[in-house]
Amino acid sequence: MRAEFKGEMPGVTTNAEFCEELRKRLLAQPERPLLRVAVAPDFERPVEFTAKDSLDRAGQLASSLGITKERCVVLLLLPHSPELFLVHLGLVLNGHIPAILAWPTSRVDPEKYQRNLVHQLCHLPADLLITLPRLAENLAGSLPYPARALSVANGASVEKVFPVAPVSERLERGEFPARNAPPTPDALFLQFSGGTTGAQKAIVVTAGMLAHQLKQLGEALRFSDADVVVSWLPLYHDMGLIACFWLPLWHCAGSVQIAANDWVMNPELLLKYTARYKATFCWLPNFSFSYLALRGEQMQTYSLGGMRAWINCSEPVRSKSVAEFAAAFAESGVKKESLHASYAMAETVFAVTQSEPGRKLATVQRSRVRHENHAHSGLAFDLIDDVYVSSGKPLPDTEIKIVAADGSKCPDFVPGEIHVRTPSLFSGYWGAEGFQTHSLSGGWHATGDFGFIADGELFVIGRFKDIVIVGGNNIFPEDVEAVVNSVSGIHAGRVVAFGVEDQEFGTQGLAVVAEMKDEFNEDAALELEATIRKLILTAIGTAARYVSLVPQKWIVKSTAGKISRRETRERFLRERISLG
Amino acid sequence: MMPDSSTIRTAAREAASEIVGRPVKEGWRLVTSGLIDSLSVLKLIGLLERRLGITIPPETLQPEDFDDVDLIVETVERVAKPHA
Repeated sequence: MRAEFKGEMPGVTTNAEFCEELRKRLLAQPERPLLRVAVAPDFERPVEFTAKDSLDRAGQLASSLGITKERCVVLLLLPHSPELFLVHLGLVLNGHIPAILAWPTSRVDPEKYQRNLVHQLCHLPADLLITLPRLAENLAGSLPYPARALSVANGASVEKVFPVAPVSERLERGEFPARNAPPTPDALFLQFSGGTTGAQKAIVVTAGMLAHQLKQLGEALRFSDADVVVSWLPLYHDMGLIACFWLPLWHCAGSVQIAANDWVMNPELLLKYTARYKATFCWLPNFSFSYLALRGEQMQTYSLGGMRAWINCSEPVRSKSVAEFAAAFAESGVKKESLHASYAMAETVFAVTQSEPGRKLATVQRSRVRHENHAHSGLAFDLIDDVYVSSGKPLPDTEIKIVAADGSKCPDFVPGEIHVRTPSLFSGYWGAEGFQTHSLSGGWHATGDFGFIADGELFVIGRFKDIVIVGGNNIFPEDVEAVVNSVSGIHAGRVVAFGVEDQEFGTQGLAVVAEMKDEFNEDAALELEATIRKLILTAIGTAARYVSLVPQKWIVKSTAGKISRRETRERFLRERISLG
Repeated sequence: MMPDSSTIRTAAREAASEIVGRPVKEGWRLVTSGLIDSLSVLKLIGLLERRLGITIPPETLQPEDFDDVDLIVETVERVAKPHA
């Protein structure tokens, strides 16, 4: 039987009401398998929790932390594990405000990572850090708030990369922000929206915002307790946290969770679990469609016909990637009607639009789009595909308008900046400065993304903001530039980071161009490149695809004398690499 | 039939050089130095498979298993299977 929890949810506006409603939903079906977490190396037997187990274990874990103060902001720095999912839930249910930080890749230099971490964490006005025992011990003396240990499944093998020695890094007390109040009285949890250096900031998610998003997205997808989500997306990503964890949780539906690292090396797991657990929903960034198609030939054949929606989200949707995936898995039962797309962002909790279940994705030929808005020619990113793919219609209660450079509203097929208005919209950020209200014009949020509307559906075709999206992860060029600027031998302030298209996987690679301080020579450039690459991997968490050391005055400035990212990128593409 | 060590080494050096965009020397760290990203590791695996006529089942592997030419050779010899 499918229970759809339709209609209004009277009284779900405060945290207490939200938690009460969640408990009620989960305890209505206490024995239903709710959460399955695959933990390496035993992928055959994911750790399973029923609805009641999940509630009980979440409560035990949160209580075991011994937090005495009310409404604490608790940073969670933990690897993929059952405990991460459950302690996040338990803290919410206990009235605290958790915020999940990205766990580092195993490829970082552990000592540099820890030093960098101290700088990041000291600038956040949190009350507590929860992390693995060795890291908690190492960081304890360097943070302005306690670091408490939590052991997790497989934690010992993960944390062994860290040395058994306290971090020597100390910041002056005067550099710490004041910690005096929770972000907002109604904050349920915090979602970091990107930013890996001291400038990290989080979206404040309230019970009202979350309940609204889960209800609207659930209705758009006709999601019910009979559904099962399979996911490899990390919880620090809005797609992993909201679509793949909170949506099934709220509907008392099952979810199967795989670690991102495990999936990248073993993409077949996703298909295996889809077949085994009869999964019906799977959210993936665009590159995953290309990647799965590429690896498809070497995989066993699984029965995938039960999947209601493979949802392409968090990177621009490329028709090539979707078509490759459909062709590679047609014999496994993947139907074109099951290929979907969504436009989402942490600022609206998650989804803004969603394509309609059971209908093929709409497309529009590039030639039909009227690129007449010349003031928009300075885009940071622009799709060059012949066919644009729809991201679907706005969720109920969500409004979208396309705005031209002169502020007027664009008609259908004319692209401009995407503006969004929804009850799920955020009201501010939490970060080093505490809570800061985000000002909106008439309730509209200017997204910085570029697109058009046709027949009521949104097509996202570019962006003004300089975010680089690598495999679904947002990377802010300013963060990369700040990190590289700290390298001696680099002309400070003369560093530019940007994205370069990866046609094979339908995503982007990170590129950095840096001017040398002294006279250019090849040997010094090679040494600097090695330093920069290692630093980016440690501080940003992803490797740069290209690092190019150049002589002074190579980076292009605008006529106003400012560094031009766009023109430097064009020069780099023209002179430094061949995109084949 | 599985290719011999020397063929694997040549293919590993060529594939890594193609991904990095310049000749890769023995001993160069590829992954832990930040020289190639995760997606490039996957491209490297694809190149090796095509050039050597093998399948590299990645189930038990990590990107670090492709960190330099020696490790690539060792990994391929340990886990790869010739195409049927």
